Amino acid sequence: MSRRNPMRDEIAIVGLGSTDFSRDSGGTSAAGLAAEACINAIRDSGIDKSEIDGVVGALEPGAPRANEMSTILGLKDITHHSSPMPVAVFGLVDAMTAIFSGQCDTVLLYFAFTRAPWNSRSAAKDPFRSYLGGMMGGGLKAPPMPESIDPSAAYTAWAARYIHEYDVPREDFGRVALNMRANAARNPKAAMKAPLTMEGYLQARMIRDPLCMLDMDIPVDGADAFILTTTEKAKKLTPNPVVVHAATAGMVGSNTEDQLPSLARHGQHVVVEALKDRSDVWTDDIDVFFPYDGFSIITLGWIENMGFAKPGGAGRFMQEHWDDDLGCVMIDGRVPMNPHGGSLSEGASRGTGHLREAVTQLRREAGDRQVHEASTALIGCGGFFFNSQGAVLKRL
Amino acid sequence: MSEVVDDAALVARFPWVQINHDSKHHFRGWLDKQLLINRCDDCSKFHHPPKPICPECWSSNLTPTAVSGSGTVHLAMHLHQGAPAPGVDYAKGAHPVVSVDLDDVPGVRFSSTVIDLPVEEVVIGLPVKLDWVERYGSPFPVFRKRATAGGES
Repeated sequence: MSRRNPMRDEIAIVGLGSTDFSRDSGGTSAAGLAAEACINAIRDSGIDKSEIDGVVGALEPGAPRANEMSTILGLKDITHHSSPMPVAVFGLVDAMTAIFSGQCDTVLLYFAFTRAPWNSRSAAKDPFRSYLGGMMGGGLKAPPMPESIDPSAAYTAWAARYIHEYDVPREDFGRVALNMRANAARNPKAAMKAPLTMEGYLQARMIRDPLCMLDMDIPVDGADAFILTTTEKAKKLTPNPVVVHAATAGMVGSNTEDQLPSLARHGQHVVVEALKDRSDVWTDDIDVFFPYDGFSIITLGWIENMGFAKPGGAGRFMQEHWDDDLGCVMIDGRVPMNPHGGSLSEGASRGTGHLREAVTQLRREAGDRQVHEASTALIGCGGFFFNSQGAVLKRL
Repeated sequence: MSEVVDDAALVARFPWVQINHDSKHHFRGWLDKQLLINRCDDCSKFHHPPKPICPECWSSNLTPTAVSGSGTVHLAMHLHQGAPAPGVDYAKGAHPVVSVDLDDVPGVRFSSTVIDLPVEEVVIGLPVKLDWVERYGSPFPVFRKRATAGGES
């Protein structure tokens, strides 16, 4: 530990609420999903809604803004509200800093996801989602060119570079997908539970070669919500609250997708350096590991950059720590990787599923996927360019 | 011969990109089939995509400078599905997209497609040169395979 971290263990996550994650939420709007998750989280926390004085809602397409959510839930007076960029830890850090600095005492943090017309055939047929098409295009009169290296295409481009530099087989990416699917089978909320084999992975439809459909997270409708407050207040609610030990965002200053100098230094490296410097536990001490998996290449990056494996060695690492009976990674026979199934199989929640499962595991409420006496969790959230983030959670 | 168009006409010629005061010179270059990369008059460093200042020394004295467009493929992928564009038919085969390390612009890449080459030959390390095709009635920069010393074209 060498960086300032005055918030260490001072903010607790005392409420969890979710919907299921599905490929079709029927007639429920994004606001309806968010409301369900928020109500579940508030009830779970045991805190009365009148005590919520902060609302933080991620800026997801179609999701209600913090002022709308506050109105829907009929909250009282709010002294901090914001709509941070998507990906879970941006919202987490915003909520934490608001509480720690005294802007408010108790925050409702929520994330709602709605499948957009461009990433789901059934969503494309829903007239109530058509307005999202205009939001994504930024008001342009024609669609972007196939050659535009947007963030999602860039992961494929850098995956190709990874294969080129380290001469690794596609099976290394496949292991990420297999791990998530096997874990999702133990998670009732997960969208994709059908068993997956390596043969099945290798035969899956190519989307952007070298990445296939199973390398990309699965668009879903769903929502997650969290209640955060001071650890002092949390201790009055529960003897062993889950606290945020350290959390950070990270990016290199020059982070344009196709101009990144190399895979050797990007946002994940900045996160790892900052998080490690603020945490008194690291990879040897943790009980559950949450490497983000919006694209399989991101997971390989987290495994390597957190220090579990050398560059190019994530596939071999997973193979060496593979539990044949469970069909997934168990690091040193003990530490699972995304036991909820991750974004690839639970659903594309941009890391909120990882955060929720970390808290669930540390509360020791994960049922038949519970890690024995789990006390610490390491989360690597987001990707390479502008949304890398990390957090260490602890059970007090 | 430079094709002079006003700002409104420039925006109309490239409806699929958000052109602004920083990138307008770059896209005017496309109309003249010139690849213009911003170069700092004070520290000589190049940057791309176009920015309001030089990220290296913060100078505002930038000159959009024509470059050859020769280079080497650094990133490559083959799209089996993607955004629509004239001449791109995913049903007939994957569409290659590359990011190219430009020979005469150290540290800068330019991204586009590679034409007139079987998609399986579009791989990292491929030497390429710049060419132009037409997209929606405007010039569009692309790459094609470049002959190297002792190599075949």
